[in-house]
Formats: sequence, structure tokens, C-alpha cells
Amino acid sequence: MSGEEEPKVGVFICHCGHNIGGTVDVESVAQNAAHYPNVVYSTDFMFMCSDAGQALIREKIEEKGLNRVVVASCSPRMHEPTFRRVVEEAGVNRYCFEQVNLREHVSWCHAREPKKATVKADDLVRMSTARASLLVPLEIKTVSIEPHALVLGGGVAGLRATVDIGSRGFNVTLVEKEANFGGYLRNLSVMYPNNENADDVIGRLVKEAESLEKVKMLTNSEIIDFEGHIGNFEAKIKNSKTGKTTKHNFGTVIVTTGFEPFEPEGYYCYGENPNIITLAEFEKIRKKGPLLRISDGKPPKNLLFIGCVGSREEDVKGHQHCSRYCCTAMTKAAADIQDECDEVILLYDDIRTFGRGHEEIHRMARTKHVVFSKFGEKKPKVIVKDDEIIVKWRDDLSCANMTYKPDMLVLTTGMVPPKTSEAVGKLFGLTRSGDGFYNEEHIKLAPLTTHTAGVMIAGAAQSAKDTTDSTTQASGAAVKAVSLMVRKTVEIESTVSVVDEALCSSCHTCVTACPYGAIAMGTTTDPPVAFVTEAKCHGCGTCAAGCPSGAIIMHHSTDEQIMTMLEALLQLSTLQGSEG
Amino acid sequence: MKSGKFEPNIVAFTCNWCSYGSADLAGISRIQHPPNAKVIRLMCSGRVDPVMVIESFKNGADGVMVTGCHIGDCHYSTGNYRTKVRFSALQKAMKVMGLHPDRLKLLWASASEGQQWAEGIIEMTSRIREIGPNPINGGGLVK
Repeated sequence: MSGEEEPKVGVFICHCGHNIGGTVDVESVAQNAAHYPNVVYSTDFMFMCSDAGQALIREKIEEKGLNRVVVASCSPRMHEPTFRRVVEEAGVNRYCFEQVNLREHVSWCHAREPKKATVKADDLVRMSTARASLLVPLEIKTVSIEPHALVLGGGVAGLRATVDIGSRGFNVTLVEKEANFGGYLRNLSVMYPNNENADDVIGRLVKEAESLEKVKMLTNSEIIDFEGHIGNFEAKIKNSKTGKTTKHNFGTVIVTTGFEPFEPEGYYCYGENPNIITLAEFEKIRKKGPLLRISDGKPPKNLLFIGCVGSREEDVKGHQHCSRYCCTAMTKAAADIQDECDEVILLYDDIRTFGRGHEEIHRMARTKHVVFSKFGEKKPKVIVKDDEIIVKWRDDLSCANMTYKPDMLVLTTGMVPPKTSEAVGKLFGLTRSGDGFYNEEHIKLAPLTTHTAGVMIAGAAQSAKDTTDSTTQASGAAVKAVSLMVRKTVEIESTVSVVDEALCSSCHTCVTACPYGAIAMGTTTDPPVAFVTEAKCHGCGTCAAGCPSGAIIMHHSTDEQIMTMLEALLQLSTLQGSEG
Repeated sequence: MKSGKFEPNIVAFTCNWCSYGSADLAGISRIQHPPNAKVIRLMCSGRVDPVMVIESFKNGADGVMVTGCHIGDCHYSTGNYRTKVRFSALQKAMKVMGLHPDRLKLLWASASEGQQWAEGIIEMTSRIREIGPNPINGGGLVK
């Protein structure tokens, strides 16, 4: 079927049982639609989505030679894929199908005004038949997928993803900017909930990755340039030691760039006394040996922990979130150190030990007589006087004002994105949330993929989380990457924009308007004209709306297709809508 | 209209992801609202060319609504930032066209905000009833 042939539109109006038919005079709408331009067939049917309804569409396409199909039924968000498949089965291109929403947008929300609802239904059908006449078939395009994955960041999430992809027999390159793999876990001693040594966890994963034939692991390396689209990315990797740059092709990418512990400058006299440390620093010390006071090298007799430092602050940008691991980590640290000290006090706002095995740690800490005190809304005050640390707070539960002089003060800070996250985000076309972590495509429906097709995220790069959650996500992202590579090819959007070179005035408006960097200026003509990389285009049409020369054609949403709907809408319905 | 009673004819541009979803949800939740607004579904509110809005008024629309995802929630990450900028330009153009500024409305509604959609339509319809028919092109209807 070519786009040039005369449109023959078939209109099918659905009763949806009583759902539409109970309010809208479906028969009248169908009869009226028969008179609209290019409509050669119009009917109504009880359930268009039923087998009988689908068969009716296929039958009439053949019998009447229909090349455009309009179904007026429920929301296209529900059945557009169904009907697109139906018309395709009968040899009509899926983009020559148009759906009208008579249920959610008419009968269900105008149930008390049946006559007006019928007129509106007629308006909507008139608009869509006009649009259908201008629809053109679009080619279903595919691109090949290079069977090689890039994993950026060699922490626990990156290692997990690398092993998962490598063990499925696909090439995978792991790029780590530091000299060693392991990421933040290299700073930890024993981890909750099973007291496993962090080095063992990393060691096992590194060993497994190294044993896989198709895994390539690069340290001291950074991505300095990244281009391309799903299936066909090209990355320049620079070795910071040798200064050498190499080019690689990848089909899929997983970004696992992790987090940084927040350095609480300006909080609780941090930096004013060497014995005020963060939980991250506490862990580093514990990894090397026993905990000793920084000032005099003596073991501390008593310790005080403060929770939620720089976390869950409603009005501080980048610090609104809960880091989801620190409560359990702090509780475990307090319980462990209690064995070596006289007294350990833990000041908290809330204790959120919600993960598997976490509550047991909380209970263990209380059993060991770690003193828990809730400070609530008013934060504790820390004063440094000579060599002393004085902590004052109000205990929320006893309503008593407390003072304590700990030998050491441990500030439990949360996770913040690494300083490089903005630059890395730009490189891969990732957007960031208010707190700076990378956004997933959809928080519930697509939590591992991103708005850049072919690029996945996992671990703390997506949001603050612990090792268990990070590796879970990493395995998921690995499956996403593998499932793309297994297929070898992927369908890309046919509803993309194209530039009419003759009309382009080289103004660059579309280049800046595109959220995906899919439009660039060509180099072969003078003046240069814009061109669209189809595999990068998501079909939003922002470029077409911005183009002052009308040089951009947005397939399936052309200016003409939209304007014809406007014109049809603003004609008067021949059905009478007065409720009188 | 023919009966003499003025029924506003309102064009509502929606994006495919948020505001169209909110209109669906208003229906699913059976939140009743006037049938005066008719939806033109685009993929992104960023697709709304200001020319389309101007043409709507030229052709006699009594009101135009541009609707989409909340700022920061755009399915296409930044498409609706463009919408916002273009909308401000359109608001200025309303004066030039000699049209009441309230004939043009911007509505952000997520797919979970059926109530907001219905309220938006109720408000817009009643406001246009107050303002009266579009003075351009014979007051609302081409035919």
C-alpha cells in the first residue's frame, strides 16, 4: 500500500456493551460518520475488541478495500496495540489506524448528558476520520545490536552486572576509573546483615569476572566520549595512567557509577575536633584495626552516634532523601563497638531498619544495651570546648534535656551522587532527579532502563541503596542488556521526525530543542542543514513545533494531520445536542 | 449554537503520557465534567506549535487548553519546558489578537490526576461561558 493512493476510510463504532452504548447514541454516530469525506464504510458493533469485532475489521478491510481504519471505542492507551495488530493482519500498515476514545473521554464522564455526549462523540469521530485520511503508512525499522556491553563503574553493582552478562556468553567491558575494583565496598569492614567481609564479597565477584572468557576489565579508565544510539554506541576510553585513548563499539550500556558518602561540613562541628568522624571514616578505621581516638590514640570509653546527618532535610536541595542503608549500618556499628566500650549512645530521628535481617540487627543493638534516644524535630547541638565534645539534645520520649560528653562522636551521613555524576549524565544523555541521582525511564514500570534507549542504570547511581538492592538491580539491568543482544536487532520508532533540507534555514533551533541530542547539523552542505538520527529520536515532536521554517516533518503527527483535526472539530456537528 | 444558547467549543491539546492519562482517569473514576472540551492527542505537549493555537482561535475555538506532564515529569525529559516557554509567548500574543487571556489555559496533570483534569475542564468551560463566544470568525462556529 502506498501513501499516494486514495484514502478509503472504514469507521467502526463500539458499544462496549452498555459502557458507551448506554450513553452515546452509537447507531446515529455510525450513520453520520458514513457521510464524512473518504469514509467508504461505517458501522457499529457490540464489542470491537472481541474476536468477532476483530474479524469484522479484517473482513471489511478485504471486502471494501479499506486502507485507513478508525475504531471509536475505549482509550488508545488500552487497545491501540490490539487494533494496530488487527489491521496489520489484514495488510494495512499499523500507522494507518486511528482510535477515538468514546468511553473514558465521553460516555463515562458525560453520563448524565446523553445528547451532548452523542454530539461530542460525533465531533471526535469527525476529527479522527479527517486525520485518518491524511495518515500515511510508515516503514517498520530495525537496527542491529552490537553483541558487546559496556559496564561503567566497577563497584559491587558493576561487577555483578559484568559477571551476569559475561556468564551468558556475551562480550562485556567493565570500565573503572580507580586502580582497583570494588568501589565503596573497599572502605568497609564487615557488612550487614550477615557479617560478611566486604573484601570477600568483592574478591569473589572479581575472581568470577576474571575467569570469564568474554569479560574485559579496565582499571584507571574513563569514558571521555560517547556517541551513537541503541545497538550501535561508540565510546572513547582513556587510560589515565598511560594517557592512551582507545575506541570501542558497544550495543548496550549499564551505568553503575555509585555514590559518595556525604561529607558533613557545617554539621555538628565536623572538622573542629579530630574525634568527630563520619560513619564512613569509622568504617575505614575499623577495617584497619581497633577503633582509637584520633587525638591521642587511646581507645574511646564511650561513643555517641547521630543519625540522619545531612539526610531527610526538607528544605535543603540534594539532601531531602533517605539513604536507606545508614540506619542499619549505624545500628550495626553501634552494636559491634558496644562490645569494646563502656557506653554507646545512638541519637536518631527515626530508625528505619526495614530490609531482610535488618530488624534483627536493631534488636541485637538494643539487647546489647546500646542507648537509643530520639531527638525528633529539634536537632542535637554539639559544642567543642578545648578537647571536649559536648552533645546536648532533648529526648523526645522522656521530654528531658540531655547532655553527654562522648570520647568520640560518629556522624551518620547518607549517600550523595559522585561529583562526576553531572558530566557522566550528559555523556550518556541521562537526566537527574532533584537530589542528583540518575532518573530511570519509569519508577515502577521501567526502573532499570533510561530515556536513552540501550542505556540501563543500576545500584546507587539510580538512588541511595544498599549492596543487596544494588546487586539485585544490577542483575536486572544485565538481563535487560542481554535480552537486547540476544535479539540481535531491535525495532526503533517509526514515528520520528525528518528534516526537509530545502526548507531548513540552518537556525539550530531544533538542535537545542531536542531532549535526546538526536538532531545535529550536517557537514556536507553550505550552509549546513539539520539532520535527525532516527535511532535516537523518540518522536516527541518538540523540534517540529519549534522549527520556524516548517522544515521538520514529524511522522504520524504532521502539521497537516493535527490541523485537519482542528478544522474538523470547529465545524458544527449535524447531530442535535440540546438536552431539552 | 443554533438554539441560541452559547456552548463553548474548547480545544484541549494533551500529551500521550500524562494529561491524556489524567483525562482517561477522570472517565474511569466517573468524574462528571462538561463535554465542551475535545482532546487532540499528541505525543508531547512540546509538539504544540503556537501556530496551532492561533489557528484554533482563527477557526473559531472559544478556548484552547494546552496540557501536559508536570514540569520535571515530562516523558521526553524536557519537552514541556519548551511548552512553558511557548505558552508565555502565546499569552502575549492573545493581547495582540484582541482575545481575552483567559481563553488560553495551561494545565499540568499527571496520569494519576483525574480530578485535576475534570476540575480544569469545569473551570475552563464556566470561565468561557462568562467571557462569551470567540469574537473572531462569527463567534465560535465556522459553519
